[in-house]
Order: sequence, then C-alpha cells, then structure tokens
Amino acid sequence: MLITDDSAPFQEAYRQLLAGTDQPDWLRSQRQAGMERFTDLGFPTRRQEAWRFTDLEQLTAQPRLPSLDGAPPLPADLLEPWRLAGKTHRLVLVNGRFDPALSAIGTLPDGVWLAPLAETVLRRPDVAAMAFGADGNAFAFLNAALFTDGAVLVLAPGTVLELPVEVIHYSAGDTQVSAHPRLRVMLGDGARATLVETAAGDGNGWTNAVIDVTLGADAALTHVHVQGEGADAAHTSLLTAELGRRARYRTFAFITGASLSRRDMQVTLSGPGAVFTLHGAYLLDGGQEATLAVRADHKVCDCRTEEVVKGVLQGAAHGVFLGTVAVRPGADGTDARQLNRNLLLSPSARVDTKPELEIFADDVKCSHGATVGSLDEAALFYLQARGIDPVTARSMLVAAFAAEVIDAAGLEGEVEVLLRRHLARWLGGEGGLG
Amino acid sequence: MVNILEVRGLRARITGGREVLKGIDLTVAPGEVHAIMGPNGAGKSTLSSVLAGKPGYEVTAGSVLYKDVDLLSMPPDERAREGVFLAFQYPVEIPGVNNTYFLRAALNAGRRQRGQPELDAQQFLKAVKEKLKLLDIGDDLLRRAVNVGFSGGEKKRNEIFQMAMLEPNLALLDETDSGLDIDALRTVSDGVNRLRDPGRAIVMVTHYQRLLDYVVPDHVHVLADGRIVASGDKYFAAELERTGYAHLCDAA
Repeated sequence: MLITDDSAPFQEAYRQLLAGTDQPDWLRSQRQAGMERFTDLGFPTRRQEAWRFTDLEQLTAQPRLPSLDGAPPLPADLLEPWRLAGKTHRLVLVNGRFDPALSAIGTLPDGVWLAPLAETVLRRPDVAAMAFGADGNAFAFLNAALFTDGAVLVLAPGTVLELPVEVIHYSAGDTQVSAHPRLRVMLGDGARATLVETAAGDGNGWTNAVIDVTLGADAALTHVHVQGEGADAAHTSLLTAELGRRARYRTFAFITGASLSRRDMQVTLSGPGAVFTLHGAYLLDGGQEATLAVRADHKVCDCRTEEVVKGVLQGAAHGVFLGTVAVRPGADGTDARQLNRNLLLSPSARVDTKPELEIFADDVKCSHGATVGSLDEAALFYLQARGIDPVTARSMLVAAFAAEVIDAAGLEGEVEVLLRRHLARWLGGEGGLG
Repeated sequence: MVNILEVRGLRARITGGREVLKGIDLTVAPGEVHAIMGPNGAGKSTLSSVLAGKPGYEVTAGSVLYKDVDLLSMPPDERAREGVFLAFQYPVEIPGVNNTYFLRAALNAGRRQRGQPELDAQQFLKAVKEKLKLLDIGDDLLRRAVNVGFSGGEKKRNEIFQMAMLEPNLALLDETDSGLDIDALRTVSDGVNRLRDPGRAIVMVTHYQRLLDYVVPDHVHVLADGRIVASGDKYFAAELERTGYAHLCDAA
C-alpha cells in the first residue's frame, strides 16, 4: 500500500531516529504512543474550528524532519541578545539537543532539579516519566515521538529558587530540519521560581515544543516566553499548565519571530483560589503569521484569569488571537478578564481575534473584549507639529502601545529589562520603524 | 527686516470638501502680536491648521512665505523644526508617551535642524525647571503621559509651556483661551506675554475679546467667511466688542 498522508515522512524519520538507540521500555512506549496518535490525527486542517485561521501550508508542503546528527558548534555571541543579564541557571538546546558548552546550569539549591531531559531519563527516570502526559494535540504527540532532548525543572515543596532559569532553544542552520524540545516544570506546594523560555534562531527550521507546567498549592511561577525564531522558520508550541490551590501562574508571551508560528496555551485552574495571568504581545511584519490560542479552564471556585494581549501588525502580517475562558459547573466566584488589542500599521495587515466565554456556573464575573485599530492620526500630527519626523512619531506611538502591556505585567528586574530590550530591538530593527 | 509671515491670496478647502479660506492676505513682522477674531465657522482654526500643515486641507491658491521661504512646501514636522509652533485648541492625549521624553525629542529635533548640539538629560531638565516656573506648572505633569488625564486648563498651560521650551519664531495660538477659567486665563496670558520677544511673532486666533484684555495685540483682524474683512490696532478689538461682527460679516 502506498502511504501518501502527511505523517508518512515523519514515520520514516521516527524509525531512523530510534534505530539502534537504547531506549528504556517505558520511553519507547511513550514515543510509540505519540507516533500512533500523530498518525491518527495528522496535521490539523482549517476545517477544524481551532485551526481555522492558521495557515499550515508551509509546514505540510515540505516536511521538516528531525536531523539525525547534532548541529555544528554555535558561537556563544549568537546567544547574547537572548540572554538575561546577571546570574541565571541557563540551559541551552541547539536544534533540539543539549549544548553543554553554551549552558551554565550552575549550582542548584537543595530541593531543585534542573537538567536536560535526556539526562533526566538516565538518572531520574521517575522524574522523566512525568514529562509525558496522555493529552495533547497532534504536534505535541509528534514531539513525544521525535524529541531528542529538553529540560526538566522540579522544585520540592517550599523551595524558592532565587535566580531565574533560562531555557533557550536555538534553531540553527539553513537545513529545513525540525526540533522537538520538551520542557517539564513542576513546582511543589509553596515553591517559587522564574523561568524564561526562549525560542530563537537564524535558520529555516521548525521548532515544535511542548511545555508542561504543574504548580502545587500556593506555588508561584513567573514564566516569560520569548519567540524570536528566524524569519523563515516555523514555530509551534503547546503549553499546558495545571494550577493547584491558590497557585499563581504569571506568564508573558513575547512573539516576534518565525514566518509561521502558533502557541497553544491550555491552563487548567484546578485548585480553588488559583490565579492565571497572561500578558502578551505579537509584533509582526512582512508575511509573518502568528497565532496565540489560549484556553483557561476554570474547574473550581474562586479562581481568577486575566489576559491582556496586544498585537502590532505591519506589512502583510497576520495575527490571530483565540482566547477561551471556560467556567465549569460549580466554579462559582470565577473572575475572568480577556482583552486583545491590535494595531494595524498597513492596509494589507490582518488580524483575527476571537475571545470567547463558555460559562456553566452562576455567580461569575467575566468580561472579554477585542479592538482592532490603526495609529491615531491626531496623535501623529501632534508629534509632528512639535518637530518630530513622521518615522520617529510612528515609532513612538507603536512603542507606547506595545510597552503598555509590559508595564501592565508588572514584572521585575532583569526579566523586565529583557522584554524592553526585545521590544526596542524590534522597533529599531527588522520591524522597520526606524 | 524680513517678515515672519506673508500670506498672499491664500485659498484652501477641506480635502474633497468645501472651500473655507477664500483669499487671505496677512503680513506679520517680527515682534508683532496679531489677533484674528471672527464668528464661528469663519475659518480661523482652518487658517492656523493650514499654516501648521495639518492633514485634511488642500491649498488651492495663494502663497505663504515664512521668513521668505515657501512654508507650504514643507511637511509639518519641518515647519515645526524651522520655528513654527501651533498651540492646539484641543491638545491631543497620547497614552504611553511620557511628556518629558516627548518634549526632549521635540526640542532636540529642532536643535539638530539648526545645527545645535542636542541637550543631554541634565541640561534639558535645567531648562525645563526654568520654564515650569514661568507657567506655574508642577513637575508631576512631566512624569505623566502627554496630556493624559490633564484638566482642560492643564492642557492649555502645557501647550504654552511647550512653546516656552521650543522658542518658536512664529507661534499660532488656536483658541488658547477657550475652556479656561479666569485664573487659568491669567496664568496662560502671563506666560504668553513673557514669551513676547522682538524676534518672535504671535498670531492668536480667538472667538472672544477677553484674551485680548490680557495679551494686548498690535493688530486685530476680523475673519469672516474665509476673508479678512477688517483690520485695526489694539483699540479695534474693544470697538468690535461694542459693535459685534455682524455688520462686518454682511459686508463680506
């Protein structure tokens, strides 16, 4: 029988990738299950409501398969723009593989496990096994089948990790390969950490990441996601988070890279009093398309969700925001707000925005809103009437629009500095705002 | 001496719409203060908008020389850097753009154009402190976003404060007195008076006589239906107060 479906090249890659490797049985069956689920599901299509606005043509037209050998060594200064200033625990993956030379995990306090996933499989299979769940979308199943490495961060109850953790995935080379990094974060009750998860690159590969977060009662995680992949790259990532009682999950998504990108976030608030805040910005130019699809699932009472996401779209860029807040029966006292604001800077830029509520409980406070507009002509003239040239005037207004969401996030220290630096670079660089 | 402003036969319309200015002639020499009065809809604000280069208007005939240079061929930002200042009737709120940052960018844009060195943060702050006193403005205003959350009076004072900072050769004050209570009017007027200078010309557009009690003009013009229908000296304003515009407008 001739196999012609989209998954066929990946099945072949899967066989090659695992041929002759020594996989523990439990892992082999996880991979096998992932491959089977992906083969069943295939690539999502526009006929599926959740994927209606996302153009996967460039992923399916020419399959980007995982490379069988590692990437050539990367000059360290390539990472410089993506790194946090100051001391961190840094773990770097290049094309899906751990790079010890670029990493600096440093000394970890008691009660903290931070290591590459492959190393965790060997040394702590019990911990590594928790990096694989039964749920996911087609891409997450493909990741389970094809991952080569990733990172695992575990904090024992009550542990506070003072220094931020940086997990940087760099996609290098003009080789059309894919990488499937897998990141697992588990914070025990009352534990606290800050994580910066960066996907950067200069190549035309495809990064297909999976990030699983579990927060115990009263745990607090600040999680900044920076997506600055190369201009011809593709990026898909699925983040799932499960929040325990009074857990606080504060996340920021800063998206400027890749020609095609999609980040799915599925956050489950399963302990009373849990708080999920998302601030985000997608800043796109040229023919870029980015989707941010967020589902906040309120399963129990007295939880809070706050989402503020802003888009700036130039050229023929296409931004998509899909936001769903689901309030399950019994999740009384839910307080949920969603706001998506977009700035279109050119007539051919496009945005699709769909904030939604699914409410099955009484006594809830939910609001959602979306705006799409262009630069305020009156403000532009006002700036020019004071001698500021039109290019600078535009840039000032765009910067103000985007910076507002960084202000609102209320992040501290180097993490905030990093986001402002990324924003300034986008405004001054490829963003073309001079 | 070269005139600051020479307007000759200026006709302009709202882009794609009706003609508003129907042949304006106006000469303003350095050091002079001119008041342009007239009923609503006469074209007063259009005149200041066209001179400042606001989009949405189309000049169909006539010329404007600013210090002997063709003003209309310059984009609005260049006019500003060359020393033309428009105090807005409705100053625009710009969320997220800090007042100090904005003003320093504006000031340094003008300085670059004139070949002067840019002011660093400290020099700038020193200049700001001096001018703030002039207008009785608290420095908390500088920490806020441009005009955001300002009261009507604060917005107008902020306009004159910007004028003090940018030191223009030609200041166009568009209904600067509107919406001000008597105390604010006095503060703003004092500020304008202190900015009178032999090298600077001021053109005030106003609907009311009362501004002219505080900022006494050298010349007063009545604009009606797109034309200047009468001109006089400072006493002319008081006469207008008695007789009204009606008989002049009919003549037009």
